[in-house]
Amino acid sequence: MTNVARGTVGSRKQVGAVSPKELGAAAILIALAVLGFALSSELPRGTLRSVGAGMLPQALSILLGLCAIPILLGARRGDGGSEEFTFSLRGPFLVLSATALFALTIKSSHFDGWSTPELGLVVAGPLAIIVGGYASPDVQLRPLVTLALFLTPFSLVLFGDLLNLPIPIMPRYVQEVLLAGWSYRGALRLAAALMVGVGVLVLFTGRRASAKTSSTKTPNATAGG
Amino acid sequence: MFDLIGNLGLGLAVAFSLKNLVLCLTGCLVGTLVGILPGVGPIATISMLLPITFGLDPVGALIMLAGIYYGAQYGGSTTAILVNIPGEATAVVTTLDGHQMARRGRAGVALGIAAIGSFIAGTFATLLIAALAKPLTSLALVFGPAEYFSLMVMGLVFAVVLAHGSILKAIAMILFGILLSTVGIDLETGEARMTLGMDFLADGIDFAVLAMGVFGVAEILRNLDNVETRDVVKQAIGRLLPGREEMRQSAAPIARGTIIGAILGILPGNGAVLGPFAAYSLEKKLAKDPSRFGKGAIEGVAGPESANNAGAQTSFIPLLTLGIPPNAVMALMVGAMTIHGIVPGPLVMTNSPDLFWGMIASMWIGNLMLLIINLPMIGLWVKLLKVPYHLMFPAILMFCSIGIFSINSEPVQVLLIGLFGFAGYLLAKFGFEPAPMLLGFVLGRLMEENFRRALLVSRGDMATFIESPISAGLLAIAVIMLVVVLLPSFRRGREDVFAE
Repeated sequence: MTNVARGTVGSRKQVGAVSPKELGAAAILIALAVLGFALSSELPRGTLRSVGAGMLPQALSILLGLCAIPILLGARRGDGGSEEFTFSLRGPFLVLSATALFALTIKSSHFDGWSTPELGLVVAGPLAIIVGGYASPDVQLRPLVTLALFLTPFSLVLFGDLLNLPIPIMPRYVQEVLLAGWSYRGALRLAAALMVGVGVLVLFTGRRASAKTSSTKTPNATAGG
Repeated sequence: MFDLIGNLGLGLAVAFSLKNLVLCLTGCLVGTLVGILPGVGPIATISMLLPITFGLDPVGALIMLAGIYYGAQYGGSTTAILVNIPGEATAVVTTLDGHQMARRGRAGVALGIAAIGSFIAGTFATLLIAALAKPLTSLALVFGPAEYFSLMVMGLVFAVVLAHGSILKAIAMILFGILLSTVGIDLETGEARMTLGMDFLADGIDFAVLAMGVFGVAEILRNLDNVETRDVVKQAIGRLLPGREEMRQSAAPIARGTIIGAILGILPGNGAVLGPFAAYSLEKKLAKDPSRFGKGAIEGVAGPESANNAGAQTSFIPLLTLGIPPNAVMALMVGAMTIHGIVPGPLVMTNSPDLFWGMIASMWIGNLMLLIINLPMIGLWVKLLKVPYHLMFPAILMFCSIGIFSINSEPVQVLLIGLFGFAGYLLAKFGFEPAPMLLGFVLGRLMEENFRRALLVSRGDMATFIESPISAGLLAIAVIMLVVVLLPSFRRGREDVFAE
């Protein structure tokens, strides 16, 4: 935010350099404009008297493309060029994977010829937390697993039980075969209780393990759980 | 006048029912709880918590949402003071002196005066909304499609002027937002526009999905890029209630901040964001010893915090009276209202007065509750602030996923928040701000509708937009603003304001 302003002011000194950031910005706008125009080109434009479905999208795409021109000119002057420009793919990739895994496991989706199994929140929630968690370089598996084992039952009870939102709880065949006689709420509570139980176990063993390591190795190591 | 009292009385009667009080309290609590997390602003908070209001009746749902909003605002200020991380643009000013106060062992007083200032500002703003609602609503009824269109153009120009960074990029983002809003079935001709043949795009892009993507997920990605340096105050929080001398010092700044914030908040196009900045520079100018600012001056917290809250509340005015959301948070409110079957606009007041006045009264109650519940809970908030980010963001990610899934049990939408998040992150990398895009997206549909209707009425004559004096006036203001903001001298001044 403020960096942008500072970058613009600071870069006036070094005229001549082409700013990759501004160049990229212009490229994005042109790409969006082309995409918008291509997708709406088949729609009737209509007349001012009866505006067609295509008029606004096409006009907006053209305006969007026009915005790229002054930005391009600015990039040649080197506006905003003094900033560092770094990319890391780890975060975006893992966070996107986490949401994708959640989407594919929470409920069965049908595509042409194949469909995904419905695994419910007990699988989708921990998957999102653990896979997403690896987006941070400071990741540790045990705290993430513990977090997943407590937050998932919390969400089950909050969304499914208290707020009555229809969320698939667990893999369908488990619910239909193993818990055949159970109600939705009963199954939900059982699943939540089991997860919390495992969570407490993980927390407890984690404490003991870290207490052991801390007594043998470093006295001030923090608990893993 | 009697009308006003009668209406407020009706509102209080609705808001003081046990159920609504509990909802307001719950909203304030969870709003603060989520809003306090560093890097989670009000927009992300509201979109994450939106689903928990689904099971409620419309009145209760809106009361709870308003509570969530104030809670998120107050949580943001708490984070700004205690950790020096502003949750959103308006809290930036609070970090300047608020965090300095905290480092000098006066965190409690800073939080206390922020809460008291916000409460006073909230009270004033509530009265202002109640007083202005009727006249503005009658104004809205003489507005035709041309006037509405011009008003929205003016609002978008304001949003450009107030956006951070490059003006050109802000304009581009608004255009892109409007373009996104045209995806889906065209309401007039029934043709599918830019849907790529996908069924889930036929109803258009869901607003909550877009908001949660570009504000929730993109924010996570941006935070992951930065090495975490969180500076939670280690000093004692100190006493919470300001002393007599501190109250005396803050009284005038609170009053000035309230008025500035309230006026700016009414402007379409996110004027509220200017309030805290304006209040801060005013206090600095008026101070006998301006050098104290930036080193823990209580006026530097009291003024901007009051302005912030007053603006946050008066920005409801354009939404409730004209049906035009002035900023992204209000756009979320539109989304929430639509889910509950209410079309925001001038008719809400006449068609469902209990909802309208109940919500306004609960605004005041919500402010009061924040004052009461937050002061004793600061210890808990401090603990929450110490949760490391690498454990916090997976939790936020899962809540976002569940939240968006529960809106209409559509797994594709979870996928979409990831994709929009990545897109928002990329755009931000290239200096594009997501807020103007979101505003363009919300106003886009309304604008197109009114544009087409105005042309239909005038038989294709574009002059209709300048023939009506109101519409011409609004457009003239928009043009003047745009020209002024493009002038080199103003541009430098604007950069200074945001750089400070």
